Amino acid sequence: MKLYRSLVYRELKLTRKRFLLMLILFLLLALLMLTPIMLDGFSAPAEGEESPVETILLLVGTVTLTGGFLAGTNNGLQKADISAGWKRYSFILPPTARQQALSDLLTKLCYILFFGLLSAAFAWIYSAAADYNSFGIMVNIYLGAVCAVMLIDIAYSYIMMFANDKKQLRIFGVIAFFGAGIILRAVGLFTDGKPAEQSAEDGVLISEEAFNSFFAALSSGKTTLCAAAAFAVICALYFLVMWRSHERREP
Amino acid sequence: MTDYENAIEIKSVTKRYDGFTLDSISFDVPKGCIMGFIGQNGAGKTTTIRSLLHITDIDGGEIRLLGLDHIKDETAIKKRIAVVFDELPFHDVFNARDMARIFEGMYPEWDNAVYMQYLERFQLPTAKQIGNFSKGMKMKLQIACALSHNAELLVMDEATTGLDPVVRDEILHIFMEYLQNGERSILMSSHITSDLEKIADMVTFIDRGKILLTGCKDEIIERHGILKCDKDKLGEIDAEDTVSIRLNSFGAEVMVNDRENASYKYRGCVIDPASLDDIMLYYVHRDRKEWS
Repeated sequence: MKLYRSLVYRELKLTRKRFLLMLILFLLLALLMLTPIMLDGFSAPAEGEESPVETILLLVGTVTLTGGFLAGTNNGLQKADISAGWKRYSFILPPTARQQALSDLLTKLCYILFFGLLSAAFAWIYSAAADYNSFGIMVNIYLGAVCAVMLIDIAYSYIMMFANDKKQLRIFGVIAFFGAGIILRAVGLFTDGKPAEQSAEDGVLISEEAFNSFFAALSSGKTTLCAAAAFAVICALYFLVMWRSHERREP
Repeated sequence: MTDYENAIEIKSVTKRYDGFTLDSISFDVPKGCIMGFIGQNGAGKTTTIRSLLHITDIDGGEIRLLGLDHIKDETAIKKRIAVVFDELPFHDVFNARDMARIFEGMYPEWDNAVYMQYLERFQLPTAKQIGNFSKGMKMKLQIACALSHNAELLVMDEATTGLDPVVRDEILHIFMEYLQNGERSILMSSHITSDLEKIADMVTFIDRGKILLTGCKDEIIERHGILKCDKDKLGEIDAEDTVSIRLNSFGAEVMVNDRENASYKYRGCVIDPASLDDIMLYYVHRDRKEWS
């Protein structure tokens, strides 16, 4: 336990500045998204008015997605360790590769938990103000965003493990950036623009029927289960990649 | 804890790179002694140290540290050794207190009181960021960390390079103190031979990936000598007695590998004692035999 406390302390302390920046960004966005509540408040929609459910989904979804992206994104530790020479030094330290990988995962989980709680707090404010429970949707969006970004991080970290020192850092950084881009494309977060054009018929981006089925899927318990399972698998994958990264010796 | 005779045993270790090979090297560092590991830049010192610390995998041979296999017993070994690199591998954002918090969980025998004593002795601030330390301060911090978990073996890779003579002397003095209980050993790689001449008990000389000399420092220095003679007398000196010959405008200086024997054999010549620097220099030019 003492060992993990040391390892996680090091990682949290190293990522403290980045974390503060992410927190400020998140809070600014959350504040912006809270403006409707602060100005008008939510009430039941009058005849012909847009349903607040869609607006709530949009606002909660935006904040949650941002929280998920910030929590799951690469924390720059690998790069910082190579640059400082700590990666090489870590080979002579008593913690095993497995213990170091577990501490990487624990640090990641700390951020995921923290931004998850912040997103939940935001969803709760909206639920209280508009008398509409968006918590289930928030969890699904959050886990989905975390999974997608962690997948990219896994690809990035895998490529970065081949860099041994400062000299190799730049070249592998570029390769890792493009590698992560390929993963991003593969999971469908980059599109070539065609789907948006096709759905823009008659000025309606998404039909009510499509929205309803999307909404039903998003708020479904099954989706939560699937997202949680995917999250568990991705965490395991992240652990394995970090394990390999700490285990790999210099050529 | 295992009982062992040699803190480090390196047997026929080979490591191949493109353009460089660590060629089946072997040497031992007996328990309780300081081994100076010398050689010019690119000779293979760092590769040897990285191999024995398992920073890099070896292509052949066997390495034992503190009587244990360097790969199979890696975790057990790493709790009992300390390493000092030529550059501080700690992040600039940390301070000396942070490093204590990091290391106390990693090393079972980490002693915060000892660490604080070293910080005080080195006059290192505890709250100042490492990024604002001078090179000397950084090296002292690395040494303070290395000496605070009761390590039985200290490995140093060019640790005194780039430091001013005052700091170097202070650090060498600390190492002497550290060895006093007879249970600890040091492997110190350096190309500053004057440091090793001061503190090393034994010396291993590596050049182009091969071990040329290993043994007791005083014996090595005692055995070698610089024979001074005229160029026309060079023909009288047997090739088997020489390491290499340095020619200058006044004559020749010959490094002899058996000073006592040479003093009988070449009675008319003056033989001066050789320093580690001289020995290194003449061995580096051993293939050319005559150089200037």
